[in-house]
Amino acid sequence: MVNTDKSPTPPISEPRNSGNPSVKNKLSRSASIPSGGWLSAQVQGFHPASFLSAQTAKLREITSGKKAIAAISGGVDSTVATVLAKQALGDNLIPVLIDTGFMRLDEPEKVRAKLSSPPLGIKVRLIHAGGRFLEAVKGTFLAEEKRNKFRETFYQVLKDEAAREGCEFLVQGTIAPDWIETQGGIKTQHNVLEQVGIDPVATYGFKVLEPLADLYKDQVRSVGRQLDLPPDLAGRQPFPGPGLLVRCIGAVTKTKLQVLKSATQLVENKLGPLSYDQYFAAVIENDFSSDPTFKALRDNSAEALGLPTNEVRTDVFEQRVTGVKGDVRSYGRLCGVKLIEESREAYGWLPDKLGRLQSALVEKSQDLTRVAFLVKEKRGGGSLSVVIRAVTTRDFMTAAVAKVPWKVLKDIADSILDIEDVSRVYYDITPKPPGTVEFE
Amino acid sequence: MTFVPVVYVKGQYNHLITRSLQDLGIESKLLPSSTTPEELERLKADGLVMGGGPQSVRQLENLPRELADAVQLIRGVTLPMLCICVTHQLLAKAFGGETDIAKKPEYGPVEISVDSEDTILTGVGPSFTAWESHTDEVVKSPPGFHLLAHSDNCTAQAMRHENGRIFGVQFHPEVSHTSKGSEIFRNFLQTVRQ
Repeated sequence: MVNTDKSPTPPISEPRNSGNPSVKNKLSRSASIPSGGWLSAQVQGFHPASFLSAQTAKLREITSGKKAIAAISGGVDSTVATVLAKQALGDNLIPVLIDTGFMRLDEPEKVRAKLSSPPLGIKVRLIHAGGRFLEAVKGTFLAEEKRNKFRETFYQVLKDEAAREGCEFLVQGTIAPDWIETQGGIKTQHNVLEQVGIDPVATYGFKVLEPLADLYKDQVRSVGRQLDLPPDLAGRQPFPGPGLLVRCIGAVTKTKLQVLKSATQLVENKLGPLSYDQYFAAVIENDFSSDPTFKALRDNSAEALGLPTNEVRTDVFEQRVTGVKGDVRSYGRLCGVKLIEESREAYGWLPDKLGRLQSALVEKSQDLTRVAFLVKEKRGGGSLSVVIRAVTTRDFMTAAVAKVPWKVLKDIADSILDIEDVSRVYYDITPKPPGTVEFE
Repeated sequence: MTFVPVVYVKGQYNHLITRSLQDLGIESKLLPSSTTPEELERLKADGLVMGGGPQSVRQLENLPRELADAVQLIRGVTLPMLCICVTHQLLAKAFGGETDIAKKPEYGPVEISVDSEDTILTGVGPSFTAWESHTDEVVKSPPGFHLLAHSDNCTAQAMRHENGRIFGVQFHPEVSHTSKGSEIFRNFLQTVRQ
């Protein structure tokens, strides 16, 4: 008999929670279950049309004629949230786009133009706050500190706008992985407040409305299609709220940001046509750890690849990067693996072998979170490395390393090495877990 | 409609389990682990899935609140139940098995070898790729449980109680990268509906 413990437990009407105010919040929310009866055998699960009508009704009811500000970045989450809220609130919705200074080349203006033209026709106010954000993150190099400062500045800017417009509500495109990762302490997403114990009404003067909070990226896209968003918007490449800030690994400098903007453009142009779910560049200083415990990584790499040790070199970057191991945040090391040219040429075409290299290293070293494979280097070049990241994922909760053809990686590396200050180009070979999609 | 709630114990993928179940056309939502078997009855639950989490359960004493509650629930529930990752380890501990820190932790893709295409693993053999994220593992399965699958690094990837209604898996059937995840949930729902 299995059920040995039959001691009566007092019935409780309210779910107790474990000290985290958000848990109750999220638990009491029904996970957008379509109300039943009309489920057909073919279309099970999520229904964009019924989701939309339920959410617009809910927004109308909550705001009841009062004004709301909407934070829109041009990404699919915030665009879908804004269009949905526009349908519910009409002129009572004030969409604003914050230029954080960490967006891509010309992105703020392009996004504003795109949103204001047909078929959307959403007039968006562009707020130039680049200076404010840069000032806020000055002198910080730890990932969570950067993210926290970004979040604080983000909401201060919105607070000012909301106060000016007399808005009692903020509509934003938070989706499930945002609050899940923040709540789990994996990383602080810029658009999550209650989960970290911040009361938005007391702190910023508005209530937060998150119509998409129970959805994953692929479901948001299907809502976008239901809303007749143009295909390039519904299918837009994801871009994190803090943008290039979290791809500038460690301290932010003008040089790193400039290099990153150029490298981002090169990677997006080359990998865009290959339809991966996410692809981008990150930049990191070539400062390497002298910790003797990392010396073994060279032998471990050689063993995992079946190569003599003298054909392998490993460099562990000083600056830490974000990962997740066993459901716990791991702010650990990034190991760069370099092979001699002929071996590199052979292994570059063998992504499965590189996957085994990655897991062999990460399972041996607790402090190691991610592994990157050197694609090309330039002798006597600058002090920065660029890491290319490309993954396939449905919902960003797990991610597989994209099998980018080696020839393509080499071509991209060639162009990136033309950027001043860059001496090495790596390809990140870490899935999520133990990595995350972004580096910070 | 069939209703299978998911017990939240702070794991990244707990909410994703509700989605996996909803995608199979049944009703699901997150519940706290303080939910009692009586409440489950009142909610007309047909089965139960226990999620994963970041904790270690090597010692049953001093468990964090949500897992202390989860042990009560695991022992008290009479519904068909599937325990995932940390609650798979908790299930083992609750019924007299042992867990320990894994010699080789598993993060990301892992090849699962199916030893017995039994109940929840019907039709998924001889092997499939599953995604994992665990530092501890079950090293001794509890009395009354049969091991159903293993990987190179871990002997207890899946287990079933001899009553045929309680299951544990170390891997994550709820993440989209696990190749046979929805088959495993479908198989579990088969048991739920019996």
